[in-house]
Amino acid sequence: MKPIIQPVWDLPLRLFHWLLVGLIAFSWWSGENHEMEWHRWSGYAILFLLVFRLYWGLAGGRTARFSRFVRGPRAALAYLRGSGEADVGHNPLGGWSVVSMLAILIAMVMAGLFAVDVDGLESGPLADYVSFDAGRWASDVHSLIFNLLMGLIVLHIAAILFYLLARRRNLIGPMITGSVKAVDGAAAVPLRASVWRALTGLLIAAAITYFVSKGLHL
Amino acid sequence: MSIYRTTRRIALPLAVLTLAGAVVAAPSDPKATRQASFKKMGAAMKVLKEQLAGGSPAKPGMLAAAQTVAATARQQGALFPAGSGAGTDALPAIWTQKATFDAQMAKLVAESGKLVTVVNGGNVDAIGAQFKVVGGTCAGCHKQFRADN
Ligand code: HEC
Ligand code: HEM
Repeated sequence: MKPIIQPVWDLPLRLFHWLLVGLIAFSWWSGENHEMEWHRWSGYAILFLLVFRLYWGLAGGRTARFSRFVRGPRAALAYLRGSGEADVGHNPLGGWSVVSMLAILIAMVMAGLFAVDVDGLESGPLADYVSFDAGRWASDVHSLIFNLLMGLIVLHIAAILFYLLARRRNLIGPMITGSVKAVDGAAAVPLRASVWRALTGLLIAAAITYFVSKGLHL
Repeated sequence: MSIYRTTRRIALPLAVLTLAGAVVAAPSDPKATRQASFKKMGAAMKVLKEQLAGGSPAKPGMLAAAQTVAATARQQGALFPAGSGAGTDALPAIWTQKATFDAQMAKLVAESGKLVTVVNGGNVDAIGAQFKVVGGTCAGCHKQFRADN
């Protein structure tokens, strides 16, 4: 049978993913080296991506939607016992990994927005609303969550390597090209990602990020 | 139960409590004092920063904050007696390179004193510039003598 090209991830989702990888690395570097001007810009970019991703989870292509991949623990257990997958996209376990990474990243950004450095010199744009002590606490939380984030990223990469080496299944390719070759016979099922919806999401994310970066002042 | 045994039962915990209380409450505990004072300086720096970022800073608020930094800075040097590093972020280098540390503290005293003068002068650009100098002095010492960034 002729292989068909089955789309797996829409373009906005892939852009989200790889921009996030780069920006997390850059945030790490700029945070550790106290390059705070750069660090804030990088953080705003991540905030922008996160807002867009939340929106895309409601309005994006089929595999991007939370309704498609956020499943109960029973589905995750059944998947672990090897009942297989019906469709492309996140499996029930991978869905939870996505949810936890998004949640950790949101917490990371929130803490950063209120964080104050030890000199009282550098801070997130919302630190004006809290005391110095609270800002220092946010900074401690920010560092703590960073370690959790690193843990999740390590797990994420380990899972991908497990699929690659033990299951002989390459998950990296589809996250780059967006599709897999399936010898299926059946016609490819489209993802139905809409350009207009993507543009709407970009506008919403840009507006919210701008507002937050200005300390919630217009 | 005899009075004697009861007394003995109460006396030991009481003695321990009193001792612990004395240690916690001791006004001369240099670690707690210097840390609380550093926090006060940090809070004052935050006030100055917010005033300057606002565009139209209020002089009374800035003056109070600058005076807090300057006055507190003068007391910090004496709060690092030898052996007071354990369990704090104060690095051992403070005592092995005492002269450098003291020089940095003296610099903070001088620059924060200048900050008070400049705030009194009222030139916002000059205040902003001197604020950066003071902040750089905090950051410089922390990089060298304080654990964790
Ligand atoms: C000469 C060195 C030096 C200078 C100058 C200095 N610091 Fe520090 N700072 C330290 C050291 C050492 C510690 C760690 C003290 C400890 O853990 O007991 C510290 C700790 C702190 C802390 C954390 C206190 C805590 O335990 O929660 C704050 C906040 C702080 N400094 C603010 C400032 C600010 C603001 C300035 C400038 C206005 C400043 N420091 C200038 C040496 C310095
Ligand atoms: C996922 C995104 C982010 C990552 C991975 C990240 C990472 C880091 C790291 C590694 C540090 C150094 C911590 C340390 O030295 O102990 C740091 C510090 C800091 N970050 Fe972020 N950060 C992120 C987002 C943000 C955002 C959105 C802001 C606000 C605009 C922000 C504000 C700060 C501030 C003010 C500090 C200094 C705190 C201090 O020195 O105590 N960060 N960040």
